[in-house]
Amino acid sequence: MDRLQAFRTLLLREWMQHRAGWLVLVGLPSLLMAGLSVLDGSGLVLRIGGQGTPIDRLSTLPLPLQTLGWTVATTGLALLLVALTVLFQLPGLARRDVQDGSVAFWRSLPVGHGEAVGATVLMHLLLLPALAVTAALLGAQLVAAFAIVPHHGVLAWLQQPWAPMLAGLVLALGRLWLGLLLAALWLSPALLLSMAASAWLKRWGMPVVAGVTVLGTYWLDGRLPQPVVGPALQRLGNEALYALLAPDLFDGPRRLGQGELASEIAALPAALLHDAGRVLASAASPAFLVALAGGALGFGLLVWRRARSE
Amino acid sequence: MTPTDDKAALIQARGLGLHYGAKRALDDLSFSVAPGRVVGLLGHNGAGKTSLMKALVGLHAVDGELRVLGLDPRRDRVALLQQLAYIPDVAILPGWAKVSQLITLVAGLHPKFSAERARALIRRTSVGLGDTVKHLSKGMVVQVHLALVAAIDAKLMILDEPTLGLDVLSRKAFYELLIDEWCDGERSVLISTHQVEEIETLLSDVLMLNEGRLVLGLSLEDIDRRFVALGHDPAAADAMAAAHPLLRYRVQGGSAALFDGAPPPEVAALGQRLRPSLVDLFVALTRRPEINRTQGL
Repeated sequence: MDRLQAFRTLLLREWMQHRAGWLVLVGLPSLLMAGLSVLDGSGLVLRIGGQGTPIDRLSTLPLPLQTLGWTVATTGLALLLVALTVLFQLPGLARRDVQDGSVAFWRSLPVGHGEAVGATVLMHLLLLPALAVTAALLGAQLVAAFAIVPHHGVLAWLQQPWAPMLAGLVLALGRLWLGLLLAALWLSPALLLSMAASAWLKRWGMPVVAGVTVLGTYWLDGRLPQPVVGPALQRLGNEALYALLAPDLFDGPRRLGQGELASEIAALPAALLHDAGRVLASAASPAFLVALAGGALGFGLLVWRRARSE
Repeated sequence: MTPTDDKAALIQARGLGLHYGAKRALDDLSFSVAPGRVVGLLGHNGAGKTSLMKALVGLHAVDGELRVLGLDPRRDRVALLQQLAYIPDVAILPGWAKVSQLITLVAGLHPKFSAERARALIRRTSVGLGDTVKHLSKGMVVQVHLALVAAIDAKLMILDEPTLGLDVLSRKAFYELLIDEWCDGERSVLISTHQVEEIETLLSDVLMLNEGRLVLGLSLEDIDRRFVALGHDPAAADAMAAAHPLLRYRVQGGSAALFDGAPPPEVAALGQRLRPSLVDLFVALTRRPEINRTQGL
């Protein structure tokens, strides 16, 4: 039996154990947005440029922009829910098999400790979030249809420039997956070291992580010639956020609204590719290597803990 | 069960040692397990049984020389677990899983596992494939676990207290399934337990641990040859005591004395030879001498 099959089986185990919760997360953003689009006849109020001033109602914008708006809103909601779920789940995941008493069973099977921990981390930090976000991105197209068809009819919805929009959708999906991967890697020191703290220190793990963070930020940084902990954490958070949210595209709707719509939509794939290049360039930095090293340390501590579990 | 150079031995241990801080859990153990044997690993709580079991499957590093199925358990843990069946504890299957899901998972993780055979074995029990583990009784969970590991085509099965806390019917069902469906004369089983009397009839060999030391490692035939129990009248009690038996104990309607080797002829003439039970031997070899003296009959 090759190790790949064993690893796939470990991923399957994660799906079997956690699928109910993740299926809810897969469907919830689209269902919530679909409900909003049906119940709220005026649709979303779009705020552009961060000024907090509603410049238009979504339902009055050109249809491709409406579709884009619902796509961004649904996917954004999915990202938010995924982030909250992952943060809420991680400490428990680290001790899951010990708490339910099954760790001895899993360790009695011919599986390496690294593979077992790796499957859990990969599934919950990357694959299941990617599934939820993908479902949201695709479900958003149905949400947009629910919002557009009652106001403009089916024909108008069908007559949108689907070829460039679908190309943009596919690229947006790829960009989201890349963003999830990079965000997970940027945040891996915080996430995996928190998991490791929970695995080693049990219920004290998260309070200790919180205490160390507060001490480092407010006490240690104040005594160093130059603050280190706070800026480092801020850098990790910012890089992860930018990896996910593509800040260069934030003013995209403004540009789309101001310019020639058809040409702007046609230019969207190129903009996405450009943005993907930007986040990849951000990763080509010493800071990213430091982040990877922190993540590797957390992973190693998790593997060590599993090897020593009673 | 004595130290051997037999290349065919499934387990070979020489000078095994393990300590937790200052406490020695295993102390200079040497033994081997040949194919086709059912070996009982007996010992009190804290005697080192679980430490030894974990060392055998690579979950504890030990001093000394240890080969299991020709492999170094610590270095080749995954490769070793691919070739043996192992139950590390009672009722440890994950509660969220359905029985059918466990079969799917073990099939994907263990190269010598037969899902078809596991389903056939499960059908012998009162458990359904669609049942969820958390809804099963402890005895049922143990049956499912045994069905899973018995569907592994291995030469060696290691069972660590597999029936602890189960009622007598569940224990009986467990051992029936083990003997009927797994033991075939070629495969070996190493089973640790407190319930000596229940597995005595299943065993071909015995390893007894006391405070980390191996106090006995013999086949049952050799035990019968080496140890002699004499049933005697109360009037012969003093003479028996004077011969320094390993243990004096009560048997039905009288007393008995257990000797390591043949008792002196004059003492042997005072009693009737009995077959010593494993329980009595266990008590004799693992009870501290001072307790023996104060609690002796």
